Amino acid sequence: MFLDLTEEQKLIQDTARDFAKAELEPVAAALDQSDDRGPLLANLKKLAELGFMGLNVKGDYSGSEAGVVAFSVAMTEIARACASTAVTVSVNNMAAEVIQAVGSEEQRRAYIPKICSGEYPAAGFALTETCAGSDPAGMCSQAVDDGDSWVLNGSKIFITSAPYAGVFVVWAVTDKDAPKGKGISCFLVEAGTPGLIVGKEEKKMGQHASATCELIFADCRIPKSALMGKLNDGFRIAAGELAGGRIGIGSLGLGVGLAAMDYATRYVTERSQFEQKVSNFQAIQWMIADGYTELEAARLLLMNAAYRKESGKSFAKEASMAKMYATEAANKSCYKALQMLGGYGYTRDFPVERYARDARITSIYEGTNEIQRLIISREILRNSS
Amino acid sequence: MKLLVCIKQVPDMESRFKPDAAGTWYSESDLAWRMNEYDEFAVEQAVQLREKLGEGAELTVLSIGPDRVVEAVKKALAMGCDNAVHIQDPAAALKDPWQIASMIAAFAKDRAFDLIFTGMQSQDRGSAQVGVTVAEQLGLACTTTIVGFEYDNGTITTKRELEGGVKGVVKLKTPALVTCQLGLNVPRYPTLPNIMKAKKKEIVAIAAAELLREEPLTTTASFHPPAKKGGGIVLEGEVGSLVDQLIGILKEKTAVLR
Repeated sequence: MFLDLTEEQKLIQDTARDFAKAELEPVAAALDQSDDRGPLLANLKKLAELGFMGLNVKGDYSGSEAGVVAFSVAMTEIARACASTAVTVSVNNMAAEVIQAVGSEEQRRAYIPKICSGEYPAAGFALTETCAGSDPAGMCSQAVDDGDSWVLNGSKIFITSAPYAGVFVVWAVTDKDAPKGKGISCFLVEAGTPGLIVGKEEKKMGQHASATCELIFADCRIPKSALMGKLNDGFRIAAGELAGGRIGIGSLGLGVGLAAMDYATRYVTERSQFEQKVSNFQAIQWMIADGYTELEAARLLLMNAAYRKESGKSFAKEASMAKMYATEAANKSCYKALQMLGGYGYTRDFPVERYARDARITSIYEGTNEIQRLIISREILRNSS
Repeated sequence: MKLLVCIKQVPDMESRFKPDAAGTWYSESDLAWRMNEYDEFAVEQAVQLREKLGEGAELTVLSIGPDRVVEAVKKALAMGCDNAVHIQDPAAALKDPWQIASMIAAFAKDRAFDLIFTGMQSQDRGSAQVGVTVAEQLGLACTTTIVGFEYDNGTITTKRELEGGVKGVVKLKTPALVTCQLGLNVPRYPTLPNIMKAKKKEIVAIAAAELLREEPLTTTASFHPPAKKGGGIVLEGEVGSLVDQLIGILKEKTAVLR
C-alpha cells in the first residue's frame, strides 16, 4: 500500500498550485462579479500551454500523458483558486478523452491537439436536454441520415463553455424506433457550423465566469464523417465517459471545500471574541475537525477512483462514490466555513460566500448525487444477487 | 559549451519551523519541500542560455542532499536541463558551506564547465557562500547577485543591483560562475509534458563520500526561535517626566540617541 504521490504527480500538483495562486486566485473574485471573460480565456490559454487540457491524453495527440491521479490533483489545485476555470478545464479534458477513446484516428488528429494546445479555448459536451437531464437516454434531439451528411435538429441545455468552445461532442437520436438508449449516436460538431446556434446563457447562482448555455440545432448539416464511434452506440459512450468526468468534478469540489476551510481556519485564529481567539472555542474546533476529516476522506476516495481508472480497473462505482462524497463534503465545508466567519462570511468582502455558491452546483452537475447513489447501489446489488 | 546549474531543495518558507533534537538545525518532519527560489532564477537563466546556444551546449543540474531532492532535480530537468547529478548525502544539512562548495568543486574540477550558475543564497541557511566558494576553489571568475545576464562569444555581461537602487555592470570571461538574485528573470512553469519527459533524462547518483575531502570550517552551534519578548513597559507620570524616562531608556537600551 503506497498512498503518496509520485515525484511527477507532485511536480504537477506544485505547478497547478503555483499557477493557480499566481494567475487564477487574483482574478477569481472579479471574474465572479463581471461579465468580462477576457481574463478567463487568457488563463485557459496559459493552462493549455502548460498541458492541463489533456492530462490523460497521449502525447501523439499533444496530450500530457500524465494520468488520472495527476488530473485529479491538478483539478483540486485549480479549483482552490477558481471553480469556474476548473470546470472548464474538467470539461475540456473530458471532451479530449472521449474523442481519444472512441474517435477515429482522423478525428483524434483533427480535434484533440486543438483542445490540448488551446487553439480551441474550450470544448463542449452536449448531452443534457430539457427532456433528458438525469435520464439522458430520453433525449429528443435527432440526427437524420441525408445521404452524404447528417442533419441535426433539436436543442441542448446547460452546455458549459458553449460561446467559446471550438468543437462539441453531441448526442442525438439516430434510431427513434430502437429500444430506449439503443438508438442514440455521438457526433463531433464544429463551432460555426451553419444551423448550430448558441442560445441564451443561464444566470446562475455561482461559477459565473463559466458560460452555461442553450445549444440549438436548426437543420444543422454535418458531414457523414462527423459520426464518432459506432452508430447507435452513443448512450454507452456517454455513460462510460461521464464516470471519468465525475473524478474531475469530485476533485473540483474538494478544491473548493479546502479553499473555504483553509480561509476560515486562518480567520478563526485571528478573530477574537470574549477576550480570546475564536479558535479557542470547542464549537469552532469541531467544525474544523469535521470539515477537514470529510475532505480528507473525499481525497482518499478520489485518489482510489483515479488510481483504479489509471490502472485499467473498473472504476464507475468508485468514481460515483468519490463524486458524491466529495461534493457533499465540499458543500458542508463551505457552509461550515461561512458560519465560522459569522456575518462577514455572508459578505462579498470575503471569498467564502463565493466558494459556497460555486460548490452548490457540484452535487448537481455531472450526474446529480441522487443518480450517483443509484449507480453505486446498482453496482453493489448486481454483484450480490 | 558546458553549463552547470547548482540547486538546493529547501522547505516551503510558509512552514512552521521547529528545532531538531540536537537543537542545531530545523526538524525535517512534516515539511513540504521545493526548489530554493534563487536557484529557480539560476535554472531559468541557464535554460535560456542553453536554448540560445542550441545543439552545441549541454546543461547539467546538480543537487546535494537526501533522496527527496530528486523532486527538485526533476523540476529543473522539466524546465529544460539536459541531465542531472544527484550527490547523495542524507546529512547535507549538517555540512557547512565550505564542505558543500568543496563537494561541488570536486565534482566540477575535471569536467571543464564553461559557466556555472547558482542562486545567490539558500532560503534556509542563507550563507550566500557556496557559489563564491566554488568559484574560488575552481579558480573561476565570479560575480554575485546578478539581476541581468547576457552572453556573447565567451564574454558574460551581468547587471548587479547595489545599495540604494544603483546598478553596476560587470563583465567577465568564461570560465566563470554567477550567483543569481531576484529580478533576474521570471522562472517558467515546467509544462506537464516536459515533467513526464524528464523521467527519461539521466540522473547520475554519486555518493557524497566520493567527493567530500574537506573538514568543516564552521559549525552551527544553535538553532532556535528568538526568545519571546515581554509585554513592554508602560510609562506613567507627567509629560515632562515621561519624556525624561523615554530618553533615558532610548539612550541606555538602544542606539537611537548615541
